Amino acid sequence: MTTELVNIQPLYQPVKMSGEMAVFSPEVEAEIDWHLAKYPSKRSAILPIMFIVQRERGYLDGPGVSYLANRLSLRITDIWEVATFYSMLHTKPIGQYHIQVCKTLSCKLLGADKITEQCSQKLGIKPGETTADGKFSLSLVECLGSCGTAPMFQVNFDFHENLTTEKVDQILDSLP
Amino acid sequence: MDQSDSIKVTINGADFQVAKGARLIDVCRDNRFDIPSFCYYADLALQASCRMCLVRIEKMPKLQTSCTIICTDGMVVTTQSEEIQKAQRSMLEFLLANHPLDCPVCDRGGECELQEQTFDWGNLEERFTEQKNYHPEKYLSPMVANDPQRCILCKRCTRVCDEWMGEQAIEAGNRGAHTVIGTYGGWLNCSQCGNCIEVCPTGTLLDGTYRHQARPWELNQNVSTCNFCSDGCQLSIGSRGTEVLRVVARDRYVNGLNGEFLCIKGRFGHPFIDHSERIRTPLIRHQKGGKLIPATWDEALSFAVRRLSEIKQTHGANSIGVLGSPRLTNEALYSLRKLATEAIGTENYGISDAFSLKPFFDNLGGPLATHRDIRYAKTIVLIGGEPEELQPLTGKQIRQAVRNGGAQLILINSVRIRLREQASQFIHLRPGSEDAAVLALANASDELLASRKMDVDAAEIEAARKAITDTQGDVIIMFGAELSGASQAVVAQMPYTLGGEDRRVLLHPLPLYNNSVGALDMMRDGKEGVELLRSESLRAMILAGTPLTNVAGDAGLIPNCEFIVLSELFLTAAGEYADVVFPAASYAEVDGTFTNNDGFVQRVRKAIEPLHQSKADWLIAAQLARELGVDFGFEMSASAVFREIGERVPSYSGLRYPLLKDESNPVQVKHAIAAQRELSNDFSTIRAAVEAMDETANKEQLTPEVGHELFKLGTLTEKVPQFHLLAAGNPKPESVLVSPLYQITVDGKLGKRAVA
Repeated sequence: MTTELVNIQPLYQPVKMSGEMAVFSPEVEAEIDWHLAKYPSKRSAILPIMFIVQRERGYLDGPGVSYLANRLSLRITDIWEVATFYSMLHTKPIGQYHIQVCKTLSCKLLGADKITEQCSQKLGIKPGETTADGKFSLSLVECLGSCGTAPMFQVNFDFHENLTTEKVDQILDSLP
Repeated sequence: MDQSDSIKVTINGADFQVAKGARLIDVCRDNRFDIPSFCYYADLALQASCRMCLVRIEKMPKLQTSCTIICTDGMVVTTQSEEIQKAQRSMLEFLLANHPLDCPVCDRGGECELQEQTFDWGNLEERFTEQKNYHPEKYLSPMVANDPQRCILCKRCTRVCDEWMGEQAIEAGNRGAHTVIGTYGGWLNCSQCGNCIEVCPTGTLLDGTYRHQARPWELNQNVSTCNFCSDGCQLSIGSRGTEVLRVVARDRYVNGLNGEFLCIKGRFGHPFIDHSERIRTPLIRHQKGGKLIPATWDEALSFAVRRLSEIKQTHGANSIGVLGSPRLTNEALYSLRKLATEAIGTENYGISDAFSLKPFFDNLGGPLATHRDIRYAKTIVLIGGEPEELQPLTGKQIRQAVRNGGAQLILINSVRIRLREQASQFIHLRPGSEDAAVLALANASDELLASRKMDVDAAEIEAARKAITDTQGDVIIMFGAELSGASQAVVAQMPYTLGGEDRRVLLHPLPLYNNSVGALDMMRDGKEGVELLRSESLRAMILAGTPLTNVAGDAGLIPNCEFIVLSELFLTAAGEYADVVFPAASYAEVDGTFTNNDGFVQRVRKAIEPLHQSKADWLIAAQLARELGVDFGFEMSASAVFREIGERVPSYSGLRYPLLKDESNPVQVKHAIAAQRELSNDFSTIRAAVEAMDETANKEQLTPEVGHELFKLGTLTEKVPQFHLLAAGNPKPESVLVSPLYQITVDGKLGKRAVA
């Protein structure tokens, strides 16, 4: 089986905007307030607060986005722009382990395609998809700034560099 | 140009004197050096993403984008060379990397900027062999169709949406090669102005109502004036044979005061023109309570004239009233006035305008502000009204003046309208207390009383007045339909009371109809519409256009008349009590003029022949007069009517159609400027009204939804099926791949219909 090595882009955002708004605990609200207080305009705090909402809700779902728009006095479209721009922000449910394989030049020259192929085979998903048990998500991302140690991928927030076939097996097997 | 602030720029070896601060791309284009570009759009924020406008500037290391360069003294520029051409060809190759070759089925084929640049700069071979992005065509709203794969990411649409409309409804999502233009949830909930369609250089955003109906080169494009609001936008009617297929404002067809701006009504409100419900033949109701029977023109005219003559003989000429709609052309209104005064001899004629500006024009103390003045004003005062919904072009100019020109906006309103996002000062009043605001602005001694009635601090009024009197430059004072006659007079005198050495005060009324100003010019000595509607002495009425029910809340006493003549496009409520109905021609079928709220008198041009048996309103009036035995001598030409207007209406003196030929240089009507006068009587009139105001009413706290006025179904807009969807809240259909009209039934109730 050869997988097509491109991200499957969702054509339409699967998020249903229902108009309801997320509710967070006082501790989370305090954290959001702390971020808002750092900037002269609310808009500047969009990224840290998005990460908080994503951490609390798993991904940026409709209520979360409504909350963000309301809290930052922005339009829904502004949130959509940012949320779909960054590969670390998700507008659909994401697996417990998000494997982000770098596909930019240095990694590509040193065999990133093989790494992607291997992850794909092992997990049985294409880039851009999530396993049925919700444990792994695989995606291809642009340069992560680790060109000296290519090829590499990032699992959640950890870099794994100088990858080889064995190393990939070992890393994927070691994830609980 | 003053030599002191002009600089020398050398372009391709020739020297040019240009103004300081001029943009290089504009200078090059003005001097006939053609520079290709996609993302550059005058008066929008810079994007510099298409990289087509590259030029070589000496002493600068790389090729520069000419759209981001401000000319400096002694700049030496090359716009055409081997190197630049190579760069531009490569850029175009990038732009075409994901662009499909579906020009033969693309609506924009033939008027597409990308197509044109490709003919000029395209490479014959493409090195990009990977698979192109693929997205299906879909609908973003009932009005806007979208084909994301054609997008070249110039982001004109997003900038226009943000800067012109202040809505940010459409934005770019995703990243890199996957970037798409769209909106969260894939459904546009905005005012549906369609400006994104207009400025799109490719076929990415398409007019969903005209889609796949014609090719641009089949259409006759006729420049005309919009017949919806009083801004008088210049548009181009695309017709094929006898059908009007689309309305555009693209600068290749028309270059008016609005540039490429149109609102939802101007752009999508045209299907009423060839709607099946148009009255096709003259109709006669032979006896009261009977049915309207189709008749020939001769029968209908002679029947009407016979009855009118009878009534004139038994009850006198003044028992016949003539009421024109402010939607008609100047020619029609002039003709009606002439019918009333010369053929019938009645004093009872007027216009059915819900917001009569007569007191304003009687006391006019200075020139009317043009839309250009608004864009470059320093201070804008808006008292009442809601330009974004009722005069969208004015709303756009205000927003641009604030955002791109640094003007300050003082907003005095009882509703928290969306423009308050731009306002430097928002004075939130009690509903109905706009007169008090005028009084407080004009007369400081009444400040305390007014502020108590408006429920605002006196300091706020103080601050607003200070902001006006501190301005260096133009002050624009606008007012909406909430003001009483006395307040209008006070506002009209403000150029005298608030003007100064370094300050011009310009006035900009916000009338409600396309020809409110012109109608007033034609019938200055006429009576108020309300007066005629409520007059008990009238036995017969000649109505051109349905008398607006919002003038009096109902049709007044008109239905009680013995005999009613009506000329209309559709059988409206007035058709129920009319005895003779003449089919009138719509604005796309007549020659004429409208006068907008700038005082610009602009041509309405015939795009198609009058449909069915309809005739222009001025012609109907002239033929009635001829049957009554008075020949106006207009023969069959609207220009003869306008020539007579130019001879007899003082403010139009000397105007002829040839002088109005150029829509990019409109002619302003010379309204008589009244002398400054004592205003104490007006003050006491307003004061008495203000003192009677309620002091306990609550303020309106809700922000109205976008489109709450625009999507209202009127006589004309209800003929457009898409408007029904919008009026019902613009629901998102099951599938965005099929036009919503096939999925949602348009009968007021939103049920599912089987997908065709």
